Amino acid sequence: MKVLNKRFVVAAMVSALGTGWGLSAFAAEKELVIGVNDALTGPGAVYGLPQSNAVQMAAEEINARGGIKAGADNYKLKVISNDDKANPTEATNSVRKLIDRDGVKYLLGFCCSGSTSAVASFIEKENVVMLVGNAAERAITAKGTPNLFRTRPPADFTGAAAGTFVGKRGAKNVAVIGSLDVSFYTQYLEAFERELAKSGGKIVAKETFGLKDRDMTPQLTKVRALNPDALLVLGYVEPAAFVYRQATELGMKLPRYGFTSGSEEQFLKVASSEQMEGVWDLRPTELTIEALDANAKTYVTNYTKKFGAAPSPSSPYAYDQVYVLKNAIEAAGNADDTKKVLAAIRTLAVPKEAVMKYLPTNGTMFDGNGQAYTSNGAFQWQKGKWIYVSDLPSDTKVYSEFLRSIRGK
Amino acid sequence: MTEILQQALNGLAIGAVYTLIALGLTVVFGILGIAHFAHGSVAMFGGYLTFVFSDRWGLPFFAAMGLAMLAGAVLGLLIERLAYRPVRDAPHINAFIIALGLTMMTEGMNLLLFGADQVVIQTPYRGVFNVAGIAIAELRVLVILTACVLIGVIALLISRTKTGKSIRAVAQNRQAAVLMGVNVNRVSLVVFAISSALGVSAGALIGALLAIAPGVGEGLAVKGFAVLILGGLGSIPGAIVGGLILGVSEAMAAGFISSAYKDVIAFLVMIVVLLFRPEGLLGKR
Repeated sequence: MKVLNKRFVVAAMVSALGTGWGLSAFAAEKELVIGVNDALTGPGAVYGLPQSNAVQMAAEEINARGGIKAGADNYKLKVISNDDKANPTEATNSVRKLIDRDGVKYLLGFCCSGSTSAVASFIEKENVVMLVGNAAERAITAKGTPNLFRTRPPADFTGAAAGTFVGKRGAKNVAVIGSLDVSFYTQYLEAFERELAKSGGKIVAKETFGLKDRDMTPQLTKVRALNPDALLVLGYVEPAAFVYRQATELGMKLPRYGFTSGSEEQFLKVASSEQMEGVWDLRPTELTIEALDANAKTYVTNYTKKFGAAPSPSSPYAYDQVYVLKNAIEAAGNADDTKKVLAAIRTLAVPKEAVMKYLPTNGTMFDGNGQAYTSNGAFQWQKGKWIYVSDLPSDTKVYSEFLRSIRGK
Repeated sequence: MTEILQQALNGLAIGAVYTLIALGLTVVFGILGIAHFAHGSVAMFGGYLTFVFSDRWGLPFFAAMGLAMLAGAVLGLLIERLAYRPVRDAPHINAFIIALGLTMMTEGMNLLLFGADQVVIQTPYRGVFNVAGIAIAELRVLVILTACVLIGVIALLISRTKTGKSIRAVAQNRQAAVLMGVNVNRVSLVVFAISSALGVSAGALIGALLAIAPGVGEGLAVKGFAVLILGGLGSIPGAIVGGLILGVSEAMAAGFISSAYKDVIAFLVMIVVLLFRPEGLLGKR
């Protein structure tokens, strides 16, 4: 009887332990579907596709490390990526599908301002969290939409710092060529012009090109006749690369500044390294190994290994979104309750896994507008590489107040 | 003055490409009466192919372009034999519908074979010469020269060879040409091969000068038809003059007015010309 009892007790203990472990391991394992809406084809794909890749990579990393632990549950991430072609109608349809058909509560990606603004206009009514990446249009966070957060600083935050930089370098007459019918480039230019004027500089020409234009020689010829001190190029990587190339083909030897955020690989598809030599890119610091920490190095190595191409400088905006989400869900202790997750994002410090160099506002990653800020930097093309030359100082508190004040108007 | 000359030079390079496109369209239209809308997509096919030959296979640009032109000629033969010949004696609307369908098919084929990314054909011709304040880019000069050579070859082919004589005979009077023993089927095939090869050359040159991407071909076809109407339907000299006028007026409009009105001004020029010469600049009344 004693033997039987002993055996019974041991068996019961083993069984209870086994069942307990099994239950906890089985019952807590859940799948969390996150939706990526981005430009995977078309002119915006230079930004959107790397963003989508970055989200996929971050999700796989998190899954490989055991997933997101929230309360008793453990979530493995599943990513659904939709192509909005940087088109507002496509973006609206794509996000509706993600929410209504796929039941997605967390929307990531969003590289391009037009398509992102279309989604931002209705997202407040939805029970979802929207994390915006590379889209730089100021109005996206100026409205203070409670369930929308953006990892990239608005264009004019960078434009002001760029204007100061160009002014300090002695440029008095600056000619501008860009996609000036796109509002975030206009916002960058307004801030640039304002700060340039403080050092006695002025804009002498504003020439426009369309997103699909590739022959900018007529506008450049016109600019050349004005004999400016410097050229400022505002546009997507591909048209901007054509401007740099065609400026050299027209024998223009003036300093060329830009706001493009393109990788070396992307520029070299259009222009040669000699044609790019000396070009400045005045943009958020983004993915710059010299200016960032070990996370950036690991990111570049892993991304290049996984996708066979170097990541675009802006792609970590989307990578960091996934870690914002992970940390917020863990802090909220629940992935189903988006209100708790939203509250957690508002008080979240910069995640330790973040690749970009964020400038926290009052200790949190996002300010009251849902806007995060990164430092701005001046980069120069030197012998086939973008070299980080210097920081472009910017005051996040002043800008954050300004952004909030727009909402009050 | 320097600026005007620079703008004219900028426009001439683009105009040369328009001329090549229009030349391909005009030989098909003038001889067979078909509005070959797929011509722009065929040009893009050639541009992509040139990119593959030069970038992936490492062939020099002009060798790659020549090879792509041969492939384009074969594609032209297939288009004529499989798409247009079966409807040659049917009402015109049939060929019109076939042309539209063919455009979609060729665009789809380009997407499937080459993807949706923009492609720029890299060439070693990056020199810049300065002549009296006018910057002359080596690549642009080569584009203009290549177009001149191809136009010259086509002009010689049509005016000096037996095949050319057959083509002219069919263009003037198909029935009479048949009665005189001209093989109309062969002429039709040759015309499509020439037209497609010219289109491919335009695609390759535009790929080196600017870029190839989905949608560019449709724009080129529209410009090609504009040149066709401007110069006069079926007129080879008309296609040359029309292409250059369109290219230069686009550059002037973008340079002196606004790039946003580039296309508007170019088409405005076309409308004004047609008001005074409805048959086109060099068309026959």
